[in-house]
Amino acid sequence: MLLALLMCYAGFTALCLATDRHHGELLHSKPSPRRRQGLRLAGWALLAIAIWPAVSADGWALGLVEWCAVLMLSALLLVLLLPYRPRLALILAGVGLLVSPVAAFAAL
Amino acid sequence: MKSKPSLPLAYRFAVTSRVLAAVIGGYLMASLASICLALWLPTSRADAVITGMLSSFVFYLLAMLWCFACRTAWRAWLGVMLPSAAFATLAGVGFWMTRT
Amino acid sequence: MKEGFRQAMAWLHTWAGLVFGWLLFAIFLTGTLSYFKDEISHWMQPEVQAHAVDDARSLGVAQNYLQHVAPDAARWIITLPNSRDPGLLVMWQDKLDPGKRGNFNQKTLDPTNAQAVEARDSMGGEFFYRFHFQLQMPHPWGRWLSTFAAMVMFLALITGIITHKKIFKDFFTFRPRKGQRSWLDGHNAVGVLVLPFHLMITYSSLVIFMTMVMPAPILASYGGDARAFFNEVFPASNNAPAQGVPGKLLPLPALYEQARAQWAGGHVGRIAVNNPSDVNASVNMFRAGSDKVVHDFGSVVQFNGTTGELLQVSDEQSLPTLVAGGFFGLHMGHFAGPVLRWLYFICGLAGTAMIGTGLVIWLGKRQLKHAKTAVMPFELRLVEVLNIASMSGLLIAIAAFFWANRLLPVSFAERSGWEVQTFFIAWGLSLLHAVLRRGRQAWVEQLGFAALLFMAVPLLNALTTSQHLGVSLVRGDWAMAGFDLTCLASGAFLAWAAWKMQRRTVPQPKAQRPRPLHLKQEAN
Repeated sequence: MLLALLMCYAGFTALCLATDRHHGELLHSKPSPRRRQGLRLAGWALLAIAIWPAVSADGWALGLVEWCAVLMLSALLLVLLLPYRPRLALILAGVGLLVSPVAAFAAL
Repeated sequence: MKSKPSLPLAYRFAVTSRVLAAVIGGYLMASLASICLALWLPTSRADAVITGMLSSFVFYLLAMLWCFACRTAWRAWLGVMLPSAAFATLAGVGFWMTRT
Repeated sequence: MKEGFRQAMAWLHTWAGLVFGWLLFAIFLTGTLSYFKDEISHWMQPEVQAHAVDDARSLGVAQNYLQHVAPDAARWIITLPNSRDPGLLVMWQDKLDPGKRGNFNQKTLDPTNAQAVEARDSMGGEFFYRFHFQLQMPHPWGRWLSTFAAMVMFLALITGIITHKKIFKDFFTFRPRKGQRSWLDGHNAVGVLVLPFHLMITYSSLVIFMTMVMPAPILASYGGDARAFFNEVFPASNNAPAQGVPGKLLPLPALYEQARAQWAGGHVGRIAVNNPSDVNASVNMFRAGSDKVVHDFGSVVQFNGTTGELLQVSDEQSLPTLVAGGFFGLHMGHFAGPVLRWLYFICGLAGTAMIGTGLVIWLGKRQLKHAKTAVMPFELRLVEVLNIASMSGLLIAIAAFFWANRLLPVSFAERSGWEVQTFFIAWGLSLLHAVLRRGRQAWVEQLGFAALLFMAVPLLNALTTSQHLGVSLVRGDWAMAGFDLTCLASGAFLAWAAWKMQRRTVPQPKAQRPRPLHLKQEAN
C-alpha cells in the first residue's frame, strides 16, 4: 500500500499545482498552459497507475479497496498540509516520487 | 432563510406537506418500484427481489429530491403519486402474468 | 430555475442535516469505534489471554464442552477465535416444544485449557457496535430509526454535492484561521475528499437492513411467504428436522478439514450444529467473513452430523447477491488488515467530523445575526445545547464507559450493565451541564473534562491492572498499547480544542465593531 500512497499523494499534488490558485500560492507564479496540461496529465496518470501496486499485491477486490482508501487519505493529508506547511507538502510529493522505485522494488 | 420574526402558517403547512410527501409518498413509490423490478426482471426470483430492494433506495432519494425541488407542495404529491400509480399498474400486470 | 433548484437543495441539506445531525454524529462516532471493537474488548477484559490460533484444537475443545453441558440442545453455535478476537465462543439454544424458540446461552472458553474464561463481565467494544445500529432501543425500533437516519444521511450527502457549486474548483481549498469560512472549508474537505467512503458506508447501511425496511418485493414475489425467500438466499437455514432417534455426532475437526477443502484453504468462521444428539444432526460450516471483501451470505458447507455425508455446498454467487454481499462486506470491513483498519477508522472520523462541523456551521451562521443581542432566541439556544451535549457530551460518555470498566469491582455481578449505565448517566449529566452553562463555557468545560478523562486512561490502566503501557509495549500487545496511546492522543486533541475554544471568547466581537463606526465617520 505504501507505493500506492506515494503515487496518489504525488498525483494529487500535481493536480493541485495545475490550478491557478494553488500554483500561485505554492510556486508564486502562474502556470503556463503547457505546464498546466502536463501537470494535469501527470496527476491523473499517477492516480490511475497507483491501482497497479495495490491490485498486484492483493487481488482485484482487496486491491481496489486499498487504492480507494489510499486515494482518500492522501488527498486529505495534502489538503490539511497545504495551508500550514506548503513547502513540506511539496517536498513530500517530491520525496515520494523519488522513493517510489525503491518501494516498487521492495514489493516485488 | 428566516428573516421575518415568525413564518406564516401557510408556509409551515406547505413544508409539512412536502415532508409527508417525501417520507411517506416516497416510501410508497420506492416500494412499488422495487415490486415492479422484482416481478419483471428476467433473473431468478430471489435475484430479482434482491435487485429490487437494492435499487429501492435510489427511487426513495429521487422522490425526496423532487418533493423539495418542485414549485409547490401540490406538485410534490403529484410527482410522487403519479409514478406510484404507474408502478402499481405495472406491478399489477406483472403479478397477473405470473398467476396465469 | 437552476438557481431555485440549488437553493432548494441547500435548504433541504441544511434542515435534514440539522434535525438528524445529532443522532448521526452518535451513530458515526460509535460506528467508527466499532472498527476496533475487538481491541476495545481486549482492553476492557485484560484477563483474556491471546493464544496462537489452532482451529482443530479449539473445535475439539468446544465440542467436548457442549457435549458435556448441552448434549440435548436444539442448536450449538461455535465461533472460532481469530487473530483479533481470541475468545472461543460457544452458544447453545435450549430445546423446547416445536414452534417455540428456546433461550440462548453462551460462554467464552479458553481454547488451551477448555475452561470457561474468567474475565470481568463487560460488553466491551460490542457495546459501541450494537449501539450504533440499535441505539439502545427495544427491538426493532432502534434498527428502524438508525436505518431511517441513514436514508436522511444519504439525502444530506447528495444534496450537499448538488449544493456545493465549486466542488472541483475548491477541491484542495482549506483556509484556516478565517472563522466561519474555515469551518465551511473544513466541512467541505472532510466531506468531498472522503466522499467515496461516506457514500459507501451510508448506502451499505441501508442495504444491511433492506429485508427489514423494504420487505415489499419479497412479499409480492413470494406471495407473502418470506420464509421461502430466506431459505433460497440463506441455504444454511434449510436443515433436516430431527428424527427423534439418538445419534452420535462425528468429531467436528474432521468435517472442518473437508469444509476448508471446498474453499481452497479458506477459513471457517462459525459452525452451527442443529439437533446435535439426533441421527439427523446437520453441521453447517460458515466461511470466515475476513476471507473476502464481498460477503457471501450463502457460503456454507453442510454435512450430516452422524454420517459425515456432504449435504450441500453453496453455489457461486449471482450478480445481485455479489452486489449486496459487496455492500455488506465493505461496511463491516472484516477483511481489513491492521493498516486498512486504521484507514477505515480515519475515514469514519472524517465522516463524524463532517457531521459535527455541519452542526457547528448551522448554528454559527445564525448566531452571527443575533450577535448584537445578548439573548439567544429559544430555537438557537436549543440547537446550541443539543450540539454541545451530542458532541462533547458523547465524548465524555465514552470516556466514562472506559473509566467505569476499570473502577467497578471485577467480581461485581451486574458490572456489565453498570458500565452501560455509566455511559448514559454521563451523557445525561453533560446535557444538564449544557443547559445550565453558557455556550462557550459549556464547550470549554466539557471538552476540557473529556480531555482530562481520556488523557488519564493510560494512568488509570496502570493503577488498576498490570497491563499498562510499560508492559504492553514490551510484550508487543499492540491492541492494549494502541488503546492507551489512542486515548492519550484523543485527550491531547480535545485539550487543544478546549484551549482554542477558550481563546476565541475574547478577540473577535471587539475587533469587528470599531471598524464600521470608523467608516461611517469617514463617510461624513
